[in-house]
Amino acid sequence: MENMVNYNPSFAEEVFRDVDSGDEIKMCMNCGVCAGSCPLREHMDYPPRQIFGLIRAGKREAVLSSKAIMLCTSCYTCVVKCPRDIPVMDVMHGLAHYALKQGYVPRKDTANFGKEFWNQVYKLGRIDEKDLPRRVFFAGGFVEGIKAMLNFMDIGLKLMLHRRMKLLPERKIKGVKLLQKMLDKAEGLGKGGIAA
Amino acid sequence: MADVQTTNQSILVVGGGMSGITAALEAAEAGYEVVLVEKNPYLGGRVTQLYQYFPKLCPPNCGLEINFRRMRQNPKVRFFTMAEVAGISGQEGDYDVTVKLSPRYVNEKCTCCGKCTEVCEVEIDNPFNYGMDKIKAAYLPHEFAFPMRYVLDPSIAGTDEGKKCLDVCEYGAIDLEMEETSFDLKVGAIVWAAGWDPFDAAKVDYYGFGEYKNVITNVMMERMAAPSGPTEGKILRPSDKKEPKNIAFIQCAGSRDENYLPYCSGICCLASLKHTTYVRELYPDCDVTIFFIDIRALDRLEDFYTKVQEDEKVVFIKSKIANITEDEETGGLLLEGENTRTGEQILMNFDMVVLATGMVPNKIEIDAAPDVSYDEYGFLINDPEKTGIYGAGCVRRPTDVASSVQDATAGALKAIQSIARR
Ligand SMILES: Cc1cc2nc3c(=O)[nH]c(=O)nc-3n(C[C@H](O)[C@H](O)[C@H](O)COP(=O)(O)OP(=O)(O)OC[C@H]3O[C@@H](n4cnc5c(N)ncnc54)[C@H](O)[C@@H]3O)c2cc1C
Ligand code: SF4
Ligand code: SF4
Ligand code: SF4
Ligand code: SF4
Repeated sequence: MENMVNYNPSFAEEVFRDVDSGDEIKMCMNCGVCAGSCPLREHMDYPPRQIFGLIRAGKREAVLSSKAIMLCTSCYTCVVKCPRDIPVMDVMHGLAHYALKQGYVPRKDTANFGKEFWNQVYKLGRIDEKDLPRRVFFAGGFVEGIKAMLNFMDIGLKLMLHRRMKLLPERKIKGVKLLQKMLDKAEGLGKGGIAA
Repeated sequence: MADVQTTNQSILVVGGGMSGITAALEAAEAGYEVVLVEKNPYLGGRVTQLYQYFPKLCPPNCGLEINFRRMRQNPKVRFFTMAEVAGISGQEGDYDVTVKLSPRYVNEKCTCCGKCTEVCEVEIDNPFNYGMDKIKAAYLPHEFAFPMRYVLDPSIAGTDEGKKCLDVCEYGAIDLEMEETSFDLKVGAIVWAAGWDPFDAAKVDYYGFGEYKNVITNVMMERMAAPSGPTEGKILRPSDKKEPKNIAFIQCAGSRDENYLPYCSGICCLASLKHTTYVRELYPDCDVTIFFIDIRALDRLEDFYTKVQEDEKVVFIKSKIANITEDEETGGLLLEGENTRTGEQILMNFDMVVLATGMVPNKIEIDAAPDVSYDEYGFLINDPEKTGIYGAGCVRRPTDVASSVQDATAGALKAIQSIARR
């Protein structure tokens, strides 16, 4: 992430105005919890906090063409943990949707990645980090990918509500409380939160 | 039964911490009759559990001792320990109060000879050390306790163990027949100075407090560093009692967080800086890392921050830690987060983690008590529309001792005004 930037509010204003849930990031205090706990952070070019930082810095191109906003798989970790109660995931989805509307086309591997992520969660109840990249290159076109992703999300949510799915990859969830909280929030937000 | 004669010219102070003691003494020294009610078996509040005071790093006992002396010399202050307020009714200038006294089973004849402790074989969790060690069920709450008098835990009062204590006491100080009693007071104004409780760190489950042995809280650190504490002043990993080689402090653990305490507790940054000096003094080779959102050291306290920054064994990393995982074999702790200055991912191992937790105010929880106002976080507001009951110290805002003392002086003045208005 670039640290020395000239402050340019125009893109931030655009995001606050035109992106679904975009104005929520005004509350961000730059703590890094979302970026430190996102299970996909290693695959993202910019984890959520950095995306928000780039928005404030006016880096329109970097944000709208970023892999990160397309990669978010709605796992809710950031939503549950954000100390400022920001629906980080919704903002990521809002940005993805906005980027598509603005004609930014995500790289094929990104969309496939999302699909494969959910595939694995569905089948294995967890993510196999080694197997994932290999499989990403199989799947079909982009629109299919997004559709499939949304479908899988529905299944994922249902599974979550039935508490059969272990959500955080390869790491045990400490106590059921966090999971319960996630489920409560998931239930509250419903699918409305997902379909950007 | 207590023989307390009070009138609507008297003032009730609830809570015998630094705030309550100050309010009581200020009002008494201005000529008013004061009754102070404290629920612990001793006065002094949370401050008695601190090892040293920032920023001067002096032991808290000196300050407390001066106040206890003022108290002993002033007949206008009556105080009761193991006492709580059970009921308040009436209005400004004319309150009826019921005070409930829990049995101590030890009377004023106690010379602190310690014989009852010697014979007693039952142990209880030591509340003074936040349950980190055990004490005998016949005990002195702590070495500087005021009043200096033993206590018998209710669990042994009716047992053979209690009988053993009774038999060994040569001074007739033990009375196993003591029961809960209560008495009524008339007062013109009330100062609520019930202080704070430490935030329950187990609520932030991704930090694993309560599950991971080597994750402790800042209040526990104070006890560990104190020579009278559970480890006799050595800071040791709870899991294997080894000296830690590297310690992490996690600031805002549950604070400034809409999911837990949305407010800043104001003192926990300073507390961690102070704890860093405890660690560094004890272990010249131990590394300390402080993870923070931003360090809040206001006014002259910034000098203390600057001083700690100069220590090259102390590293400050701007990040709110997002997860802790324990290595079950070694008891080591893996911290994850994002360094928000560089954007790099943090994956760092530590021997021990201290959670810098905040303060939760003790509200007035008495059935049918007169209405008072609180802010959105539960801190008492001295509402000009609802005069007569005033908050003082940490019940009004999370703060340090110096500010609590100032606030308590203001609280005493308000209480006096309530009486003068009548
Ligand atoms: C880790 C840590 C380190 C700190 N270090 C420092 C430091 O170095 N320097 C500094 O200036 N400040 C420090 N502080 C802050 C300091 O502890 C507070 O400023 C101080 O305790 C405030 O005093 P108080 O009288 O308002 O509250 P308390 O100390 O909490 O006293 C309140 C009293 O009221 C009693 N009580 C509660 N409820 C009732 C009831 N219902 N009826 C009767 N009695 C009741 C309690 O038993 C207690 O004795 C630290 C805080 C923390 C968390
Ligand atoms: S967790 Fe919330 S407040 Fe913290 S950086 Fe992420 S969005 Fe901002
Ligand atoms: S919801 Fe999206 S951004 Fe948030 S933690 Fe999960 S994958 Fe990351
Ligand atoms: S209660 Fe009796 S035995 Fe126990 S310390 Fe006091 S005087 Fe000694
Ligand atoms: S004083 Fe420091 S650690 Fe405590 S809540 Fe405020 S910023 Fe966080």
